[in-house]
Amino acid sequence: MNRLVALTSVAVLVAASCGSGESIITAGKEPTVVTQPTQPPQITLAPGETLPVGETLPTVETTIAPTTTAALLDTLPDCPTEALAAASGPIELTFWHGMSGPLADELTKLANDYNAGQSKVHVTLIEGTYEQTIDKYLQSGQGNRPDLVQMPEYMVQTMVDTKSVVPVDACIESSGYDTSAFLPTVLDAWATQGVRWALPFNISNPVLFYNKRMFAAAGLDPDNPPASLDDLRADSEAIVSSGAAKYGISVDTNFDGGGGWYIEQWFAKAGEFYADNENGRTARATKVLYNNATGQSLMTFMQSMVTDGLAFNVGDNAGGLDHLLKLADSAEPAAMTIASSATIGGVLTVLDSGQFPQITNDDLGIAAMPGPDGKPGALVGGAALYVVDTGDDARTAASWDFITYLTAAQRQSEWSSVTGYVPVRTDALTLDPLQTTLTTDPRFKVAYDQLLSAPDVPTSLGPIVGPLREVRTVTASGVAAIFGGADVATSLATASAQSDALIADYNSRNG
Amino acid sequence: MKRRWRDFPVAVGMLLPSAVILGVFVIYPLVRAVQLGHLRCDATGTRCREGGWVQYVDVFRSNEFQHALFNTTRLAIMTVPIGLALGIGLAVLADKQIRGVGFFRTVFSSTVATSVAVASLVWFVLLQPQVGLLPDLFHGLIPTLKQPGLLNDPTTALPALAVSSIWASLGFTFIVMTAALQGIPRELYESAFVDGAGGWMRFTNVTLPMLGPTIVFTTVVLTTRAYQAYAEVALLTQGGPNPERPTESMAYLIYGQTSLIKNDIGLKSTAAVLLFFVLLVLALVQFRGLDRRVHYGN
Amino acid sequence: MATRSDAPGTGATESLHGARKVGRYALLIFVGFLVLFPIYATLMQALKSGPDAIDHPKSLLPINLTLDTLRSAWTIGDLGRLMLNSIFVSVAVTLGVIITSLLAAYAFAFLDFPGKGAVFAFFLATLLVPAELTVVVNQRTMDSLGWINSYQGLIVPLVATTFGMFLVRQVFLTVPKDLREAAALDGVGHLRFLGEVAVPLCRPTLGALALFTFLGTWNQYLWPQAITTDDAHRTIQIGLERLKIGDIDKLNLVTAGTVIASLPIFIMLIAFQRQLVRGLTAGAVKG
Repeated sequence: MNRLVALTSVAVLVAASCGSGESIITAGKEPTVVTQPTQPPQITLAPGETLPVGETLPTVETTIAPTTTAALLDTLPDCPTEALAAASGPIELTFWHGMSGPLADELTKLANDYNAGQSKVHVTLIEGTYEQTIDKYLQSGQGNRPDLVQMPEYMVQTMVDTKSVVPVDACIESSGYDTSAFLPTVLDAWATQGVRWALPFNISNPVLFYNKRMFAAAGLDPDNPPASLDDLRADSEAIVSSGAAKYGISVDTNFDGGGGWYIEQWFAKAGEFYADNENGRTARATKVLYNNATGQSLMTFMQSMVTDGLAFNVGDNAGGLDHLLKLADSAEPAAMTIASSATIGGVLTVLDSGQFPQITNDDLGIAAMPGPDGKPGALVGGAALYVVDTGDDARTAASWDFITYLTAAQRQSEWSSVTGYVPVRTDALTLDPLQTTLTTDPRFKVAYDQLLSAPDVPTSLGPIVGPLREVRTVTASGVAAIFGGADVATSLATASAQSDALIADYNSRNG
Repeated sequence: MKRRWRDFPVAVGMLLPSAVILGVFVIYPLVRAVQLGHLRCDATGTRCREGGWVQYVDVFRSNEFQHALFNTTRLAIMTVPIGLALGIGLAVLADKQIRGVGFFRTVFSSTVATSVAVASLVWFVLLQPQVGLLPDLFHGLIPTLKQPGLLNDPTTALPALAVSSIWASLGFTFIVMTAALQGIPRELYESAFVDGAGGWMRFTNVTLPMLGPTIVFTTVVLTTRAYQAYAEVALLTQGGPNPERPTESMAYLIYGQTSLIKNDIGLKSTAAVLLFFVLLVLALVQFRGLDRRVHYGN
Repeated sequence: MATRSDAPGTGATESLHGARKVGRYALLIFVGFLVLFPIYATLMQALKSGPDAIDHPKSLLPINLTLDTLRSAWTIGDLGRLMLNSIFVSVAVTLGVIITSLLAAYAFAFLDFPGKGAVFAFFLATLLVPAELTVVVNQRTMDSLGWINSYQGLIVPLVATTFGMFLVRQVFLTVPKDLREAAALDGVGHLRFLGEVAVPLCRPTLGALALFTFLGTWNQYLWPQAITTDDAHRTIQIGLERLKIGDIDKLNLVTAGTVIASLPIFIMLIAFQRQLVRGLTAGAVKG
């Protein structure tokens, strides 16, 4: 036994001293330096303008929607939308989506309506979580991919790099599809290097949930929720000191919440880029930029909220509900939280059940997400629909047909009304059932207004980064450390360095 | 000479199904994984660049792998000795022919019917901070149960996971130990009793040595299970509360939802091959180290 | 099994009485309570409505029981389909393992052929390779075969195991050589010998192997998780997790799901207790 113990301890010590202090993502030989081929800068000319003689090509114009660069689009797969008319039905399509529960039910209903309404195309839905759908899609070789797939917003660069999709810009061009009714920020959220890759379908953004009753009890105006982070702090102090609630706000460190996505939101609100190369949209992003004065002050602010007892950290929030549940906590509730607008419907249903006496449906207020200096706007979250390049013209055209069906005004009206997602187009608001829903309960309109209020600048589009999910994960780790009291500068620096390493590694494998 | 070949066609026919299956789905993956292990690939796995054999060393020495190795070892240290002791203890406890002992034997074996997934979900619900049974009943005694919850606290997450794992394996260990106990000849006890040995002495001098091979076997099984921990991590903590991530096991590092290497089949293979080597070394150490101590005592 | 009327284990020939007996019972009850408690709590929660299930400690009392939650879990989680998938896959794999193990064991036990040692080493080698290693590559193999999200994908890779072969070979090795030679002289071919002599001999072992394999396949998590993409093919172990999403007050849907998922196994184990013990101990208590 002694020899065994000795052997094992030696082995453990050896293994322990073996640690290199490096991250697993840097494993392997250094990649041979790949010089990024410099992208030809896009020149947008107003009608009638000509390139001044002798002028060298100017730097990229900062317009919000780079017009489609014909050169790049030509190298990408075609979208022959006219093939649908020529084909004989029924064309069988598979659609992989990431909706679940009542969202999946509504999507299924829309698909069934589509199938019933015509006999040329028949769509079969395959359900999974976003994660499962992503994994399955990435593992599938060419023969096993679906015809359509719904991917969340952080997958844009990865989808581009799979070289397996037909950019919707090709379909828009080929069919002459009118996109004027779409919210411009929404359409361009899925555009990189001048090409729009997917059509948004279910979008959301974070909003402030707050308990009006607690506001009133604290002497605050329930119809005047905080717009800036400083207001947020002031209101929280009022709430806590008056005893209206134990905490002002509940925060989380989920990568899709307070640990990642919200950071991107705050940078957009502050008018700053989160990643280089204009958030990865003019060329591949090579590093993150959040380890700067804005990031530091933001994180210092959040840390002080937690350490001063004004904010409660619910942790990883893997289930996605913990920060909301804190509002309904019977012993130590919080008065506010920031959550996705997509959860409003579900939350109201729960409140209606009467389970939580201290907060009822009427008590819940929804407002824009507070940001630095109260600047407005929000990034588009949610998911979009991609047309997979199956090589079969008829199927590609049929997929495009189904996508346009789902994003048509009437469907968006129905979809938003039932699910609480923000409609992707403005003309959906004037149609029932959405019109009635918004008039009856204006809380559902907050997210939409927040999207519209975003200024017309490139920073209002979020970051497009290859390993965005992993970057959010390491950032979330950093935020968790910060909320736990770690030094802000070091944590941010570590997270930033790790993110840069992730991006560099991704680029080396996908360049 | 000719006789050896006479059976050959029959042998081929009989061995072919197994050999093909094992070859394609066990041996080939082993070889291919070793090959893939020195590549770095994109998300679809179609474009790879050379990472060199140094990739194996780099991954082994990397923070994430060392951390996962450490976590998994901690899990094994928590689950194996306790699981073994409980199994033996319960088997000995229920080893008397008293009325109703059959009922107790069934109770102690019952967890063998729960899969790892089921056991993990059972404990997940039991420990849920807001509405779980244990936090509601005992949060006065152990405040961590409710705030922030045993599975959300970096210090208690892994022990809580270990409890779930130990409970799930209890039935198996109990059954195996009981069967082994029943194989010990009564005469050994009688002669020990006649020699004046008390209950505890009989246990240490007769029972334990005779259980030797079974203890080795159970230790190997339990250790392997601990080192292969995946489902319990996926269902209970997804790698454990950030940022410490104390429950990220090696298998979860490779296949988990929040894994940083999920989208690189090259790195995954490297880590998987290293996990294989760890298991191999463990099995060897255990068989050599423990087996040597096993005497049959006759 | 040897029957013994007297106390085995640490006790000697005297039976327990008095304080020792009471003490023993007390300990048994205490430990039994601890082991059974999670199962009991789970069962109670599954048999109550959502709000009742989280009303502790009343949730532990067997009052206000209802089958509604079980029904909801069944429908919402599509558990019927998941169960069928699990049963189908487990039965298919069990049959496959029995057949391949019988054949391979026969070849190693009764046949002599060149290369026997090498092939045996090949089989041995597979014992060491863990599932975590093979999944990475097998996923890709399945994709190229087009077997992702299919029954054959779930079944075929599991259909041959060295463990099964060892187990059956063990029994076959106990068959005296003369028996085989006599049968050969009588003109009994290999297959007949296998079917009429070898198989009946190892029936209890086959039963144990069957149960062991069924249980192992039923409980599989990593492999089904890796290659199934829709409910039509998911097994119940990985499908249960879907019940986890939902409001906190419906958390007992998960509990109900675990009860339903474990029911077939519980029934099987009660019916086949002896085979189970044999199967589990096959690797342990042998020379």
